[in-house]
This record gives sequence, structure tokens and C-alpha cells, in this order.
Amino acid sequence: MTGTDDDWAALLRAGMAGDARAYRAFLQAISPVIRGIVRARGRALGEAQCEDVVQDVLLAIHAKRHTWRQDAPARPWVYAITRHKVIDAFRARGAGIELPVEDFGDVLEAPAGVDPTERGDMEKLIGMLDDRSAGIVRLIGFEGATTAETGAQLGMTEGAVRVALHRALKALAVLRERHVE
Amino acid sequence: MKTDDLIAALSADTMAEAAPEQRVLPWLLPAVLVSLAGLLLTLGARPDLAQALTSFVPAMRHVLTLSLFGLALAAALSMTRPDGRARLWPLALVAAVALALLIWAYASTPADGRMMALQGKSYNICIITIPILSILPVAALFMALRSGATTAPTLAGALIGLAGGGAGAAVYAIHCVESSPMFYVTWYGLAIFAVSAISAVIGRRILRW
Repeated sequence: MTGTDDDWAALLRAGMAGDARAYRAFLQAISPVIRGIVRARGRALGEAQCEDVVQDVLLAIHAKRHTWRQDAPARPWVYAITRHKVIDAFRARGAGIELPVEDFGDVLEAPAGVDPTERGDMEKLIGMLDDRSAGIVRLIGFEGATTAETGAQLGMTEGAVRVALHRALKALAVLRERHVE
Repeated sequence: MKTDDLIAALSADTMAEAAPEQRVLPWLLPAVLVSLAGLLLTLGARPDLAQALTSFVPAMRHVLTLSLFGLALAAALSMTRPDGRARLWPLALVAAVALALLIWAYASTPADGRMMALQGKSYNICIITIPILSILPVAALFMALRSGATTAPTLAGALIGLAGGGAGAAVYAIHCVESSPMFYVTWYGLAIFAVSAISAVIGRRILRW
């Protein structure tokens, strides 16, 4: 397991208070655990499709982070979202699975595979956004631009970029839900 | 897109949203007030409301509908967390008290008066008006709680319906002059049940994520 539950909760709490670096560390800490769960449950899907599901879960965790009670442990919340999205994803891909949540305790973390987890599903979804939103997500995601740099490049204020990014990610989560159905 | 790229994009979005329970009051309060104003301006309050509130059996209409509203709302709120579980036994307790009142009223009403006690003078107005008064509270709750992350959308929708239906019935009780539990447990109950069933169907659709 990556870190104790207190570590996850502290990082997520700081992230929700606006600390982007802590939030990134949180997402990086939970990713191998989520990947481990998805791979353990979804052998039939293959490594590449599993990574699509991992990205689904991360997007859902981001879109629903305000449903975490900041005084509660983070791990049960992360597991509950993972379980929900994994069941959805496998159902949508026609593979039924049983996913008892208590089994997550002894799951092995999985590092990203040799294939550098380059996945197409999220890219397709980003393509469904309007051009400006898609551009912002790509600049920040692929090129590692900051919101300030993105604003300078697109002729927007940093505040406008933040709002547009927030809306774009929410739209992605909604598209994801429709797309999976 | 690589997972690390996705994480980079996600972590750049530091705008926090309000927790679902913080969104409830701004939506629900105006909705209930509009329903209440609608009732007062059209049907009006019963003239002897203050007196009706002081005797046990008629007052239980208000107690039961308000407790249903509060307890169902609490349960719906705990379901907005993906790891949350709704406690349903308090709702069963309200149903049990209502049922006990119904049985007591049936037993204590003479056989030839039971049909009259059941139908009252206004059952048709009652079962139409309660759902109408519930529309805004139910809609407000869906608006407030759709940002939640329930893992059981149908149940969450049904609980929203119970809360909104309870609010609608509590508003209607201000007008209603029927005092027999045979009347109000039956017709209020049917109206609230219908609202809850419809809300369950709506929840199944719009509380998915």
C-alpha cells in the first residue's frame, strides 16, 4: 500500500484546500492501488483496457471529490468510488464481475505497464469537448503547461483558464457516464 | 492519453465545489416556501389550526409528515456519499406509528362510520394536492443532491421522494380538516408513496454518475 490512510487523507485535504501539488501526489498515490484492483478483477479485459478503467476511476474521484467528508478516512471513500466505477466499466464491456469491497485490503499495487499507459478512450472523450476546452486539457495534460502558461498561449486570463478547465473536466465526467452506457 | 497526463490535468483543477448537504438549504427553503404560499393563497389554512395542533390525534398528521420529511432527508443526505449507508429503520418507525394509529382508529370507529371516516370529505383533493405541493421540494432536492455520488440511485431517488412528499404533506396538513387517522394515514400515505415511486424512477436516471 502506498502510504497510510492518514497520508491519503492529509494529501486530499490539502488538495481540496487548493494545493495542486498535494492533490497531484494524492492522485499519484492512489493510482497504483486502483490499477491493482482493476487488474486483479478484470483479467479478461487485458492490461490496456484496464488502464481505461483506471482513468475512469480517477476522473470520477476528481469529479466527486466534494463528497468526501474531510474528517473521515480517505481509503473507504476511494474504494467505494473504485468499486462503483469498476462494476460500471465491466458491465459496459460485457464482463460481469463480483467485487466484494473487503477484498481490497490485500490487493497488490500495480505499476503502469511497459506500454506507457497511453490510452485512447480518454482521448476520444476529449475530442468530444469544444475546441477551446479540449485545447486547455491537452496543453495542461500532455504538455504539462500551468494554468498561467495556458492562459498566455490562448489569450485568456488565468482565472478564465481555471474555470474553463473545471468545466471541461466536469463535462468529461458526464460524457464518460453517457459513453459507458 | 497517459494516466500521468490525466493526473496532471486533474490536479491543475483546484476549484472546489460545495458538499451536497451545503447545497440543500438554498434549494429546499425557497421551494418549500413557494409550496406553502401556494397552499395559503389557494386553499388557505384551516381556521382552527391552533386548536387542531393541541389535540393528539389530529396533531399527529403534522408530527408524522414532518418526521418523515426530516428522517428521509437525513437518509438521502447520507446516501450522497459513495461510502455512505442510509439508516432506514427510523423511517420504518414512522411507518409503524402511522400504522398503529390507523389500526387504533379502525378499531375505535363504529363499523357503520368507517367508510365515512376513510373517505372523509376531501380525499380526492388530498391525493391530488399533496403530489402537487411536493413537486417543488422534490425538484429542489434533486437539484441539490445530483452532485452527490450515490451508489444506489433508485433508493436515493425514493428517499428524496419520501422527503419531498413528506414536506408536501406537511404543508397540506395546514389546510386539511380531516382528523381521523383512517383518512390521513391512508390518503397522505398513498400520495407520498406515489411521489416516492416516481422519484425512484427519476433518481435511477439522473443520480447516475
